[in-house]
Order: sequence, then C-alpha cells, then structure tokens
Amino acid sequence: MALTDHLSETLVESHINEKAKVTGAQNISTVNSIEVKDVTVSFKTKKGVYTAIKDINLSVKKGEIVSLIGHSGCGKSTLMNTISGMVTPSEGTVTANDNIVKGPGPDRGIVFQNYSLLPWLSVYKNIYEAVDSVLHNKTTSEKKQIVTDALAMVNLLPHKDKLPGQLSGGMKQRVAIARAFAISPKILLLDEPFGALDALTKGSMHIELLKLWNLDNRNKTIVMVTHDIEEAIFLSDRVVVINNGPAATIKEIVDVPLERPRNKKDIVHDPKYMEIHDRLLSLLFDKFSINDIH
Amino acid sequence: MKKIFTLDTLYTILAFLGSLIILGSIWQLVSILTKHEIPGPGPTWTVFKELMAEPFYDRGPNDKGIGNQLISSIGRVFSGFAIGTLIAIPLGLLMGSSKLMMRLFNPIVQILRPVSPLAWFPLGLLAFQAAEGATVFIIAITSLWPTLINTSFGVATIPSDHKNVGKAFGFSKWKYVTKIMLPFALPHIITGLRLSIGVAWLVIVAGEMLSGGVGIGFFVWDSWNGLSLEKILIAILIIGTVGLLLDKVFNAIQSMFAWENK
Repeated sequence: MALTDHLSETLVESHINEKAKVTGAQNISTVNSIEVKDVTVSFKTKKGVYTAIKDINLSVKKGEIVSLIGHSGCGKSTLMNTISGMVTPSEGTVTANDNIVKGPGPDRGIVFQNYSLLPWLSVYKNIYEAVDSVLHNKTTSEKKQIVTDALAMVNLLPHKDKLPGQLSGGMKQRVAIARAFAISPKILLLDEPFGALDALTKGSMHIELLKLWNLDNRNKTIVMVTHDIEEAIFLSDRVVVINNGPAATIKEIVDVPLERPRNKKDIVHDPKYMEIHDRLLSLLFDKFSINDIH
Repeated sequence: MKKIFTLDTLYTILAFLGSLIILGSIWQLVSILTKHEIPGPGPTWTVFKELMAEPFYDRGPNDKGIGNQLISSIGRVFSGFAIGTLIAIPLGLLMGSSKLMMRLFNPIVQILRPVSPLAWFPLGLLAFQAAEGATVFIIAITSLWPTLINTSFGVATIPSDHKNVGKAFGFSKWKYVTKIMLPFALPHIITGLRLSIGVAWLVIVAGEMLSGGVGIGFFVWDSWNGLSLEKILIAILIIGTVGLLLDKVFNAIQSMFAWENK
C-alpha cells in the first residue's frame, strides 16, 4: 500500500509540476484535495436521533478518483453530501481545497442521481444559469462561450435548444455532467450518476467521464458514489467500502493500481483486476450461491 | 390518419348534439309537469329572439338590453377577480415559501374561506357606500381563495431535486425565484386562477341580485319581478355559457404554459 501511495503521490506531483511549467506559477498546493476528519452525521427524526455515518476519516489526493461503495442506505450519499456542503456534519470537519466546507461552492461541482435538470429550461439554459450563477464575474459572451464549449465536450450541441423532457436518460446525464464541468470545479462529486441508466449507456458514460477527466490533464479530483463494483474498479484509483448503516463507518479502502488508460475489454482479464473484484465482492456480499443460504 | 380524425370529431359533434337533446327533453318534460308554468324550449326561444333583436338598447339606468347587462357583469367580475388575484398571488407565494408565514396566515384563510359572499355584502356596502363597490368587493374576497391556496401549494411542493440545483450552483434569491420557484408554481397558479374565475362568476350573479343596477344578476331578478320566466331561463343559459367560455379561456392559458407536454 505504501508503494502505491508513493507512486500516486509522484504521479500527482508530476502533474502539478507540468501545470506549473505551463502556467509559470509556483504551484505549492497541498496534495490532499479533500480531508474528512472525524465526521459524524446525525439527523433528528420523529423517533429520536438517527446517526447516518460515524467517525469517518478520509483523505483524497488532488487528481484522484475515489469511489464510495456500499449497500443502499449505508450513508455513502450522506458522506458525499458533507463534502459537497449540502449537509453539515454534526461532528468533525470536512476540508476541500484548503477551505472548511460550510456549504456548496463553485469549487465543487455536483452531479445528482436524478440529473436534476430544470425541466422548463432548455439544455443550453440549464447550463447557462449554472455558469451565470457561479462564474458571475465573467462577461455574457464569455459565459455563452463556456456553455457552448461544455455542450461540445459532451457532443450535445445539436440538442442545445431541446427541453430535458425530450432527451434520453443518457443525454440528460451528459447535460448534468457538462453543467458540473462548465463551472470548472477543482472537485467533481457524482452521486450515483449512472444509476438510472441502462447497462449499455452506462458503459459508454464511463468512458466519456474518463475522457473529460483526461482533457483536463487529470487535475480534477473526483469522488463518486456507486453501488456498481465493476464501475467502481474501472473508474477509480481507490474504492472506499462503507459498512451498512446506521452509524456506518469505513469498512476498508481498496487500492486500484491498474494502469491508465483502462480498457473495458482487457481489464477483466487482468489478474490484478480479478483480485480487486474478488476482494470487493467479499467485502460487500456474504452469500455467493444458493448453497450459502442456511 | 385523416379518417380517424374525422371520425373522432364526428363522435364529438354527435355527443354534443346528444347532450343538447337530453337537456331539451328534460326541459320540455319539466315544463309539461309544471303545466307550463315553467316555459318549455319553444316559448323560451321566441323570447330569446326578441331579446337578441336589440341586445344593446339603453333606455335609462334600469332598462338596458341584455348585451349591456352582460358586458357590465363581465367588467365587474374582472375587476373583482383582478383585485383578488393581486392579493392572492403574492400572499400565496409568501405562505408557500415560509413556514412561519404559513402558520401565521393559514388560520385566517381557513376561517374566511367558507364565508358566503352574501354575508360579506353588508360589510361591502358599509365600506364602499355603493352597490357597485360592494359587488366588486364580495367578488374579490370570495374568489381569491382558490388562487391563494393553489399558489401556496405550488410553492410549498417544489421538489427537493429542483431546490438542490439552486443550492448546488449557488443561485441568488432572485435567480431561485425567477428560474425555479415561479416556473414550477406557475401551472398551479393558473389552476388557481381558473377555479377563482369560476367562483367569481358564480358570485356576480348573487351579488347583482342583491345590489340592483346593471348586470345579468339584476336581469334575472328584474325578470322575476316582471314575471317573465322565459327571460330567467335565457339568463341561466347565458350565465352558463359565459362561465363555460371563461373556463375554456383559462384552460387555453394553462396549456400555453404547460412545459410538460412540449
């Protein structure tokens, strides 16, 4: 584990140095993009206090892709919501980009599970309103250019005047991703972004996401909630397995030291992949066949 | 395709004619049962033609053609409706978006809503010293409730998905109101308006009967005093038709703003 840590640190650092060469600036950024420290989230319900997650500690490095995986209702979305700022931790702090998270911010883009596109606005306007709100200091023509670029990036420019109701699920999610990318966030938070899509669309979306990430020199830190093991392994550098709630904790963090760019066909034959896949299955399931049911 | 379209409209026309025949038959039956004290369709039609010959005559403040009466009523309805709407929509938006406002105003709404317009009438006369003002007042105070309730419902039920977009991308208050709250609430507001205009039209007839002057309600009361039951029946049919048309207008407005079906 130490070796892979060191390797990824070196990779990230070389990226930072490359960027520094390009911008000519001294880039002394902390290597940790997100720090979750002793975070506990509890809610007041009619039946008393419900603790969703407890004593979570997690560090995510800049440019890392991390998946949060676990059974439904385990609290992985809650954990991500503390990073996005939609939820305030009851105990502990979350730091993102060296700032304590107090609420949603322009440095963290969010992609929701239900796309959350405003149904009365066209594709173009949906992205424009987000850009207008976050990048309010830019001129109108700059904003318009950003929207057009974002749409071109996800190949949806021909559909820019359509309403979300006229799009397929995959297209809607691409708009949501374009919207999150358009505000140029340093951190991208995806909450089961492909959960509502069919398996075929999902597969092509994985590659689209990685393509976008690459276009930005792998500078964006991505945290993704999923319950799809194959998706988690294909996309991530590390997979964080969360225990079942309530008061869920981190069960184990599994490294995914597979080289990039990853290939969907080849990866399944890689012995390292199979090892990781097995490990995750053991962590998440206790029954593997009908013989396991007593 | 064209054939199916024509067949469908044929059925619609036939059904409409069918309902007219049923109405006419029941009418005739009632007429016969009351030994023609209530006139049947035939004599009513004769009087109708008379009224239609000069619908806009004006022979003094209490003697006007039925067209004039109708226009006067519609004017009053829209005044009262407009005043009611100006109160209902802002208050509804406020109540829907703030739990405190809802808690403060809801009891008032629940108590005033069931009050009959006729009970408000004396207060209106006192306040406005004139029947005209009083009538507009009772229309406003009675018809504003559906708009108020539907507006606040629309705002209160904005799905968290939409609110999350505003939260996640740091929408300003203004942007939230204009790009999320109002567009979501608009169909509900229009439904409220549609119900309100229906109530307003109901109330005008009652109000005018009490107040006198010019109007379709007054026309009904005046015809009763003049013992012309045909005129009353005609007035009923006209009132019903105008009510239907008003409803259809708001229906069309509703479809104009329905982004769901585009």
